[in-house]
This record gives sequence, C-alpha cells and structure tokens, in this order.
Amino acid sequence: MSIMKLSMGPQHPITGHFRFILDVDGDLVLKLEPDIGYTHRGIEKLAEKRTYLQNLPLIERVNSYCDSVGTMLGYLEAIEELMGLEVPERAKYLRVIAAELNRIASHLYAACLFSVATGLETMLMWPINDRELILDLLEKLTGQRITYTYPTIGGVRFDMSEGFKEEALKRLDYLEKRTEDYYKMLLWNHTFQIRAKNVGILKPSDAIRLGIVGPNLRASGVKADVRKDEPYEVYDRFDFSIPTGKNGDSYDRLEVRFKEVEQSINILRQAIKDIPKGPIKKWAPPIVPKGEVYTRVEAARGEFGYYIVADGTMKPYRLKMSPPSFRNLIALPYLCRNVPLADVPVIYISLDLIPMDVDR
Amino acid sequence: MLEKIGKSLMNIKLLRKIFNWGRAWSLWSVHLETGCCGPEDMARACARFDTERFGTLPFPTLRECDLIFVTGFVTKKMAKRLKLAYEQMPEPKYVIAIGHCSISGGLWWDSYSVVQGVDEILPVDVYVPGCPPRPEAWIQGIRMLQEKIAKEGLKK
Repeated sequence: MSIMKLSMGPQHPITGHFRFILDVDGDLVLKLEPDIGYTHRGIEKLAEKRTYLQNLPLIERVNSYCDSVGTMLGYLEAIEELMGLEVPERAKYLRVIAAELNRIASHLYAACLFSVATGLETMLMWPINDRELILDLLEKLTGQRITYTYPTIGGVRFDMSEGFKEEALKRLDYLEKRTEDYYKMLLWNHTFQIRAKNVGILKPSDAIRLGIVGPNLRASGVKADVRKDEPYEVYDRFDFSIPTGKNGDSYDRLEVRFKEVEQSINILRQAIKDIPKGPIKKWAPPIVPKGEVYTRVEAARGEFGYYIVADGTMKPYRLKMSPPSFRNLIALPYLCRNVPLADVPVIYISLDLIPMDVDR
Repeated sequence: MLEKIGKSLMNIKLLRKIFNWGRAWSLWSVHLETGCCGPEDMARACARFDTERFGTLPFPTLRECDLIFVTGFVTKKMAKRLKLAYEQMPEPKYVIAIGHCSISGGLWWDSYSVVQGVDEILPVDVYVPGCPPRPEAWIQGIRMLQEKIAKEGLKK
C-alpha cells in the first residue's frame, strides 16, 4: 500500500492547538510530525519590555491552563535569589498550599482528558466536577478560578480567609475517598486497560536520553522530583514519597498522576497543620541587582526551568524558560512510530502536553 | 422556486418565531480552542455549569455546528485556521468572543504574533470580557446570543 500524508488538527477534539502531520499506511502510523506554534505569543520577548512585577501575569499565562502557581514559583525563586530576599515563613507555606492544590486540579484535568481520548464519557464528568471543588478552595484563597497571580515578589498577595482550613480538610477527605472510586471506575476498568496498557512504552533509558521530565519520567520508573532533589520553598519539611511506574506505558502515566494526587493531599494536610503565624509579604525593591540565575521547580507537568539575566534595571535583560511540555513533546514522535491511528490520541493525552507551554 | 417559497414562508411572523426559537436553543459549538480559556470551556460544558441545559453542546464536526467560541487570544497562525473553520460552517453561524485577548488583544497588546481583536477576521455577535471569564459569564453570553437570535429580523 502507498503511504499517505494525513493532517490532524487544530480543529480536532483531541489535538487541542496542535497539528499532527501523520504518515499513514492504511491504519498504521509510520511517522508523526507535530506542527507547533499555534499559540506562540512571544512571551520571552515581551518579558524584556516589562518590569519584573508586570511580568507576573505574563509568566502565569505560559501555563494558565491549570498550573499557574507552579509556573510562577520558578520565576519568583529566581528573582528572590538575585535580590537575596528571604520570604516570610507563612508566605512560603501559603505558596506550597496553592501550588499543591493547583497540582491536584491539573492532574484531575489530565484524567478527564484521558477518559475522553479513550471514550469514557462518565469519567469526563467526574474528575472535572471534583476539580471544581478544588477550584472553589483556590477561589477562596486567591479570588480567582484559574488565573490567580497569587504569589508575588516577596510573598503572597492575600492571607488565608477564615474557615479555609476546615473547608480544605473536609474537601481533601472527600477527594481521598473519591480517588478510590477513580481506581474502580477508570484505572481498573477492563475497557480502559485494553486501550491504555502496553501503549506507548517509554523505557527509562530512553526517557533519560530524550530529556523527559515530570510524571512522564517517573512513570518510566526513574525517581526524579525537584521537590525532593533540590527542595525549594518548604518542601524539605514535609514527609511524602515519589510515586513511580513500572512499565512506562500510557496506563502508568495516568496511574502516577493519581498517586501524585494522593501525595499532594498528604503534603496539603501537613502544610495546613504546620502553617505558622506571621507576615505574608516582605517589601521588595523594584530594581533587581545585576547577575544571572537559573532555578528549577516542579510544576504539575514536570521540571520548569527559568534562566534570568538581570542588568541592574527594572526590566529583565533576558528571560529564558524551559517548560515541561516542550521537553515532553519530543517523546510524541518517538512513541508514535508503527502504532495504530487510534493509539495516537491516547499517547498524546497520556503525555499531558499543553500547547501554550510548548509555544510560549 | 423552492427557495422563493421558503423565503415567503419565513416572512410569516409566527413561522419565523418558531424557526428562531429552534435556532436559539440548539447552538452547537465547534471544538476549536484558540487560547487559554480552554479549561473554562470544559468547565462550562461539564457537570456543574452544564450549558447543555441551554442547548449548547460541544461537537466535533464542523458541518453540524452553529457557534464558535473564540477562546482567548488568536495568533496569526491560528487566525487562518479559525477563518477556515468559520467558512466551513453552514449558515446561520454565530461567534462569541471570550476573554479580553479575543476582544482587543488584552495582555498581548504589544505582541508581534497575536491578532489584536478577533473582530478583525470574524463578525462577532457577543463579547464576553474576563481573563478568563467565569463559566457563569459564558452562560450569560449564550443567553444574550439567544435573545439576539430571537429578535432576528425577517430579512435574513
């Protein structure tokens, strides 16, 4: 049979903002080439025109999809390191609480996209409904649903409102019970296992060679988490484990995310219990001293790196980001070789890529 | 001949009203995400906010859709695809611009690759401001469009 070129997206329920150029032979995909750039806004260039404080909403929208706090923390860490600014204890705890809540929301979002890709409509509704509960908590904390601009240079913008602790603990208890239902409904579901198991296997050696980060790397069995390896904020004070997968297939990638939700609940409980009293913000000068810095944080999708060159003015001279989805994108053409066409959406969704993160 | 009969039938006020009512309550939306209001699109379509109550159902096939939500900023590369998608849809078709970015460029007012307002490329019916707008605001946008359709004149 002859090889045919097939174009998939961007108007496609699965691909989002991507276009895939596929070489297909009948039903078999021989080669996949992602066509990126549909959401390129030039954030790195725009960041040079604005002050450090004005950059906050800009940076947030790199991944405003689900994980805006995790994205911003790296930028703030970098600036605070350049300034030599020590953030108040309470602010650090509040940042961790917001970031972990955001991680749960992000992983639930990934789960519901996965179930759409495998055709399980009920599991589209369940996680997104539970995600709303988490978004309610974040709204109570920050005043917004998905774009918070909550952490700021030198601390956070708002303190915990009254009754937040009790409400949070109640909802976390509920969510913990609910994750068991997810295992029963989605992960142990035979129909789902047929679609997801042994699809898109990424070996640990390949994952390291390709530079995969985050839950996708951990699903391949590599124990790597910036929260443990290079603790930032107050992550070194919490007792939590790094879940890893065995086979590195699409199923493991989702299972690792669910296990991470459990660990996030664990961290949140400790953070809410231990949070000290005190100020939430420290005054920070608008001018950042001359220097260069690279920081990395663990966002929901993996390691998020920031490289900032400051020239002693109010604006950054250069801001370079290394977002997790861009690093994970390289696994997609690698995994989509000689697979049936129906497996392409499953592999794509299992990597949990965000086009906005890729293009910036 | 059939077209003429159809047009004259549409001039009858009662028939027109019934027609408009049918159109207003079955606005199926295209699944084309352009910017970062995407998760709110999902939230408004799913369990809690459930816009299917108002007949707005996200649907994969363009040829059966009547409504485009322009979710957030539109880059120059995406603008071509968006226009292509709009042209493929059958008449009548409606556009709702979601978020500051699709209304006026928003945060990306000085960006080199973002279209400054989607009304440069598509005729927009309803604007919903916010970054991103809450699902309640989306629902209000849908209701406003329904009211607009119900008043739709006898000419079209």
